[in-house]
Amino acid sequence: MIQVQDVVRNYKAGETVVKALKGVSLEIADGEFLSIAGPSGSGKTTLLNLIGCIDSLDGGEITIDGVPVSRMDKHAKTEFRRNNLGFIFQTYNLIPVLSAYENVSFVLSILNVPEREIKERTMMILQEVGLTGMEDRRPDRLSGGQQQRIAIARALVKNPKIVLADEPTANLDSKTGEEILRLMQEMNRKYHTTFIFSTHDRMVMDYARRLVSLHDGQVTGDERREA
Amino acid sequence: MRFIISLAFKNLMRYKRRTVITAVAIAVGLMMYIFVDSLLLGAEYESMRNLRWYETSSARIMHTDYREDRRLMPLDVSIEDPYSIISQLEQAGYKAAPRIMFAADLILHSEDFGEDGNMAAQVTAVDPNLDNSVFRFADTLVEGRFCEPGTNEVVIGSWFAEDIGAEPGYWITLVTRGNGGFYEAMDMQIVGIVDCPNPNVNRTLLMVPIDTISDYLAMEGNATEINIALPESEDSGKAVERIQDMIDPTGKSLVAVSWEELAHDYIALAEAKRGGTGMILFLVFIIAAVGISNTMLMAIFERIRELGMMRALGMNDRDIQWAFMVEAGGIGLLGSTAGVLLGVLMNLYLTVKGINFGRFMRDMDMGYRIQSSITGVWSLGTIVTAFFFGTILSMAVAYIPTRRALKMDIPSCLRHR
Repeated sequence: MIQVQDVVRNYKAGETVVKALKGVSLEIADGEFLSIAGPSGSGKTTLLNLIGCIDSLDGGEITIDGVPVSRMDKHAKTEFRRNNLGFIFQTYNLIPVLSAYENVSFVLSILNVPEREIKERTMMILQEVGLTGMEDRRPDRLSGGQQQRIAIARALVKNPKIVLADEPTANLDSKTGEEILRLMQEMNRKYHTTFIFSTHDRMVMDYARRLVSLHDGQVTGDERREA
Repeated sequence: MRFIISLAFKNLMRYKRRTVITAVAIAVGLMMYIFVDSLLLGAEYESMRNLRWYETSSARIMHTDYREDRRLMPLDVSIEDPYSIISQLEQAGYKAAPRIMFAADLILHSEDFGEDGNMAAQVTAVDPNLDNSVFRFADTLVEGRFCEPGTNEVVIGSWFAEDIGAEPGYWITLVTRGNGGFYEAMDMQIVGIVDCPNPNVNRTLLMVPIDTISDYLAMEGNATEINIALPESEDSGKAVERIQDMIDPTGKSLVAVSWEELAHDYIALAEAKRGGTGMILFLVFIIAAVGISNTMLMAIFERIRELGMMRALGMNDRDIQWAFMVEAGGIGLLGSTAGVLLGVLMNLYLTVKGINFGRFMRDMDMGYRIQSSITGVWSLGTIVTAFFFGTILSMAVAYIPTRRALKMDIPSCLRHR
């Protein structure tokens, strides 16, 4: 369970203070497939970053499974992310010099998983995302959709509690985007992993089972639906 | 760690051109370091050897009062009965030879030299039978022959001969004050020209027989110095102590000094030069450091998003820091290996063939006692230092740019374009 309580986040842009989040409160249950929707500048990415423990808030509190993550120091946040969170980025952010296999397996390496288990789990997740036979390919020899599949595999290989995806389909054509969303849905159902993704794309919102709307740093809607 | 090394290696392979260019900069720097160090060390060793072989000998005995005033070359404080001391030294296994050093006016005559002239000169009176057992002039004769005992013959340095236009057979006159202050004029005939590897000697040498000079200057068989050849392996300090105990344990009338004391000025100059060249070598390293620092700065700047992703996925800053430092270390290792190989190759040439600086040495006095070729010296310490320093320096200079990148917050890293 993720609890976001009265979260405030301000940024300084020169002399001006930009209020990115103005007291956002939200509860996200385990296993949800939730989309945070809103126009550019509404605070979607900021909220994802705060839940993902890669940014610090200016007010309020975030707890994950009762752990007040927003109060953690830098090292504790790093460890929390390493053990509990998976990330999918809009621009995939794969390491260009590593193969598909290595891009996924390094996440397990930093968790000190034994070599044999790394191999088993990596091969299995690559198979699940439909990349069997492409393990040795580097990102520059894969399509955008295939690269995002690697990113999904990388996020899921460590069996995280939560996967955070910032506009995961924004760099993909609509057909590939839908394939990626279906894959995410499938993974969510299969592993019961909480998926939180931001988007401003109507098609992407349609895949979400819960749609939280943000506008000017405030929650303007919270809709549960059948995907 | 395995992942870090593998990632660093793959990044090095990916940015081949950049890796090679930076490694070449390091290699050139290290090669120059090995080369210059070998050259300077070679020049120093050879200078010290030429000092001992042609100028100071390994050790010297002189009158205690002569020690302080030896630059004035006084004749009234001399060693009595030098040959008994020499025989004592020979019994102890040391070769020794007496010398009288004195200052004179050298007068050139128009009959031989085309015009009359005179100049100040320093004259070395030697025992022709013993001197070559201590000094190494035997192989340096380029014209004529050595002077013989009891004659008015003189041997002259080749550069000195060139400067005054002297040739064997020419006559010169030496005017000086004898022991007691009387004036003495000696007509001497040039019988030989020596070209020795010590430029200081070549510029000034006037070598005459000691017995002739002893008669002219009323030295009564005394010598101003006894020069001693020590085996190369023997510690000169300890040998001097032993000789001192042998000739005059109290040190009241005779004193034995090592060549290091006699060449004190040269050694001080050599040390100052070493400091100066150290600065040059430091600059070489600074250039290499700036090169690799710039490369790593670019590498890190280009990969800030990658760095942000790794941090978001839970990789420790320390591990990321290591990944970049290992990458820089890889460039350093490559550059150091190439630099050491190139340096060794250049040094091979330098130690076998040497470099001829004859033209420069003839016209200027750099302090080194080397006339023409300088040959290099192998220094394992320099090679090992260059190798490790190149690699470690490369890792060290990557630290600051990586640290700066790691200070950025993760969202900024992920937004970076």
